[in-house]
Amino acid sequence: MDAKRAEFEAEALVHLDLLFALALRFTGGDEAASEDLVQDTMLKAYRAWDSFESGTNCRAWLTTILRNTFINNLRRRQKRPASVAYEEVAERSVFAELTESAAEGGFFNRIIDEEVIRAIEELPADFRVPLVMADLQDMGYQEISELLDIPVGTVKSRLFRARRRLQRRLYAYAVEMGYVE
Amino acid sequence: MTDNGSSRGGKPDRDRDAESRELSCEEAAKRVFEFLDGELPPVDAEKVRHHVEVCRRCYPYFNFERFFLDYVRERGLKPRRSRDLEERLRRLLEEAEEP
Ligand SMILES: [Zn+2]
Repeated sequence: MDAKRAEFEAEALVHLDLLFALALRFTGGDEAASEDLVQDTMLKAYRAWDSFESGTNCRAWLTTILRNTFINNLRRRQKRPASVAYEEVAERSVFAELTESAAEGGFFNRIIDEEVIRAIEELPADFRVPLVMADLQDMGYQEISELLDIPVGTVKSRLFRARRRLQRRLYAYAVEMGYVE
Repeated sequence: MTDNGSSRGGKPDRDRDAESRELSCEEAAKRVFEFLDGELPPVDAEKVRHHVEVCRRCYPYFNFERFFLDYVRERGLKPRRSRDLEERLRRLLEEAEEP
């Protein structure tokens, strides 16, 4: 094995599981598409490895490549304007429905990981993608707006709705499971 | 749209104090995510902060939303193993290796 490949495997390949999780969130749980996305990301990173400054944040570099690759694929597929009519959903926070003892939200902690992940992945793509960027990748509204090529106001409202929907769904699950009265 | 801060510094303190007191619960709640995301212009963020600190309704509400955002951040991205992706990649990297 040559030095470049050894170095790449040691520094980049160790982030594989994290990249796969991120890819699943972006694709909405599509395993085959996520594997392809991670594979494309890794091969791009490998080809550009000489430009990576050793000692800087490799994980951040890889997640940026993955995110940009995902967006580029999305753009290529989305020839028509995505003007979906969103169903009107309750946009009130579940907070209004909580008893005082549940008001801190601790019941959310009892929900298993799989359910949290499924709830994120099953959000409609228009809501899911900004949420993944803001909440799982710590991106700001402006950056998301530029990357998705939508106005900042749209980022704001999609993020708002995404969080509300996610919260509603997890709350409904918690009620169903008897985690909250 | 809210004041984006363009008039900052141009007003006497007295007026600015009056403005922050004028923010209603509804107006504060509408900005909850922008506030928690640190996306509000400083002047607006200050108004919201001021309201929430002294409001018995909004204080627990903002705490709840903050808890929820932290929760999503913490629970949303646990690393996940793909069964054969690593093998596949190692093979591809080997093939891509420069001769
Ligand atoms: Zn209030």
